[in-house]
Amino acid sequence: MELLVTLRNTHNIEKILGSVDGVIVGNKFTVGFNYSLDDITKIVRYCQKVNKKAYIVMDDFISEDELIELNSYLEFISTLDVDGIYFHDLAVYDAASTFGLKNKLIYDGKTVLCNSLESAYYLSKGLEGVVISRELTKEEVMSILTSNPNKVDLQIFGHLRLSYSKRRFVSNYLKQINKSYDISGKDDLFLKEELRDYKLPVIEDENGTRVYSDYILEMYEEINMFKSYAKRGIIDTLFINDAEVLQVVRDYRKVSQDNCLFLKERLNYNFPNKYSSGYLYMKTNITKDE
Amino acid sequence: MNKIELLAPAKDLAKAKIAMMYGADAVYVGGKSFSLRSRASNFSMGDLKQLVEYGKQYNCKVYVTVNIVFHDEDFVGIKEYLSQLNEIGIDAVIISNISLIPLVKKVAPRLECHISTQLSANNSSAINVLKTWGADRVVLAREASMDQIRDITRKCSLPVEVFIHGGMCSNYSGRCVLSNRMTLRDANRGGCAHSCRWKYRLYEGETEISNPDCLLSMSSKDLRASAYVEKLIRANVASLKIEGRMKSEYYIGQVVKTYRNMIDEIYETSEMPYERLRYYDSELNKAENRPSDDGFLSGSCDNTKHLYGVNGAGVTHDYVAYIKDYDYLKSIALVEVKNVFNVGDTLEVFGPEIDNHNFVNEMMYNTEWQYVESANKPTELLLVRIPFVVHNGDMIRKVNKQ
Repeated sequence: MELLVTLRNTHNIEKILGSVDGVIVGNKFTVGFNYSLDDITKIVRYCQKVNKKAYIVMDDFISEDELIELNSYLEFISTLDVDGIYFHDLAVYDAASTFGLKNKLIYDGKTVLCNSLESAYYLSKGLEGVVISRELTKEEVMSILTSNPNKVDLQIFGHLRLSYSKRRFVSNYLKQINKSYDISGKDDLFLKEELRDYKLPVIEDENGTRVYSDYILEMYEEINMFKSYAKRGIIDTLFINDAEVLQVVRDYRKVSQDNCLFLKERLNYNFPNKYSSGYLYMKTNITKDE
Repeated sequence: MNKIELLAPAKDLAKAKIAMMYGADAVYVGGKSFSLRSRASNFSMGDLKQLVEYGKQYNCKVYVTVNIVFHDEDFVGIKEYLSQLNEIGIDAVIISNISLIPLVKKVAPRLECHISTQLSANNSSAINVLKTWGADRVVLAREASMDQIRDITRKCSLPVEVFIHGGMCSNYSGRCVLSNRMTLRDANRGGCAHSCRWKYRLYEGETEISNPDCLLSMSSKDLRASAYVEKLIRANVASLKIEGRMKSEYYIGQVVKTYRNMIDEIYETSEMPYERLRYYDSELNKAENRPSDDGFLSGSCDNTKHLYGVNGAGVTHDYVAYIKDYDYLKSIALVEVKNVFNVGDTLEVFGPEIDNHNFVNEMMYNTEWQYVESANKPTELLLVRIPFVVHNGDMIRKVNKQ
């Protein structure tokens, strides 16, 4: 399994690249990156120079009006010779063919790629890979991985995206309560449901609003089982500080059955965040009648 | 202009029949398995068979939702299920897992594959991909504007279905698992707890910046696209879809009839003047239980298109009875009581063949011909004098004094 990390800034790029196989960066049609196209070019070139892989992420939906911009962006990406492109909107699949990028595409199903058959279906369309949903149990993950060995990626660390809307919930709300507040570029906004005691990070930009899990997914123990079958494991660093990112990438590089509990304990000690195994041990198939 | 389809929801056989009687060209329903809306009564195979037969007299198609996001364990029995749907004459399945397309084509070749809005197809490129993968129709994401819809239908040869009325996910459909996090109910497998409609405090870091008297909600107003029907017809949209598989027969009857009449009028006169649109909107108001707007059709959704602590509003009529029979000689209708009404109330009848006829309820009896002053037992059968011809399937509502 290749170890990838979303590179949100370049402060520790050398150190990070010392522990991972590649980085994921983005500019358009995604959120949480602050790179220009020139920055992207430099990062990709640098990765290639040091024999590391570079991936582009574009996991937003794309409207009809943005198709021309999508083509321009893919044309730009085609000049970089990246190792893969994570995408969510099928428009990317359509446009990528034009630029000979189809075999570099990795479909990130976000919340809707939850089974082996669907994973195999996308792979049969000539894609480089797929990223399965995060709302799966350990058994479900294993079932998909073993059905499609060395073809499937999974998020192994980071906050989970809980919702994605084209609506601008935060700025609309502030307008509603007549509060003038500049939220552009803010990554420390949270929503707290009135009866619950945890806070959900929220990001809003011109493309809408995304709400994330309060906890950070970690798989220090389970990764030992998954890594024989998964193609790539993704450490998503959105909302994670640089020091923690460094520790996490180093941990995942050397984590084994023997040291996983120690590494996990040390992570908790150094960064007392709320970590969770997500849905690996928790089925979410309860219906309204139950 | 193409002949557009009016597509209505139904949660059980009775409501599906109402939709057909009131003018739907097609209905979509859920089976006992593989369907979102777990609380809907949902149809057994026997119900579906009956519905297909019933639909023939109205030339009405039947679509079945197979729109959960499947996990590996959910596939048990799917082949047999699709094959049965094929055999009983269902016209299409609405799917969100596109890997089902080849399976449907193989084991149920008479079924069309309609791609659910759960896939949030939002542009012509994505739709064209789905076409090459075997889809027969795409339900467009509710985030597309009217201008975008026009562009999309111009660039796509695949039929496009557009939502025109009812509740909306405030997030991209299928991309919200707030419910999973907060209640362990899987939003994509029929368990959505509507966590988006709850109230949230907004913080910057540790500082609350929300107003405790008006907390943030992600809840959107319901969709009402009456003002866009003519444009959608002209844009060659294939189907206009009403949301609401949990809704009452009254809602289904009122909304379907209103859009049916509106569509027919547009085809007859090639226009929808403002005063006629106002009339149709006033009809839709009678079925409304939440505030509504035109969603993304007008381009964007600002704060006026959200609900902040607002619930039901604007309902001016109450559905009070369902007509089961009518005696022409005695001018007496046999009705099933739905809500309270009294002798002396001004009532209004509407139905597939009748538009809003008012009468004053002068007398009513139980089936033993004993005089009744107040109809206050739901499902009770009563005899009501109605001074004009009504039919089985018509509905009666109370006209509230303005």
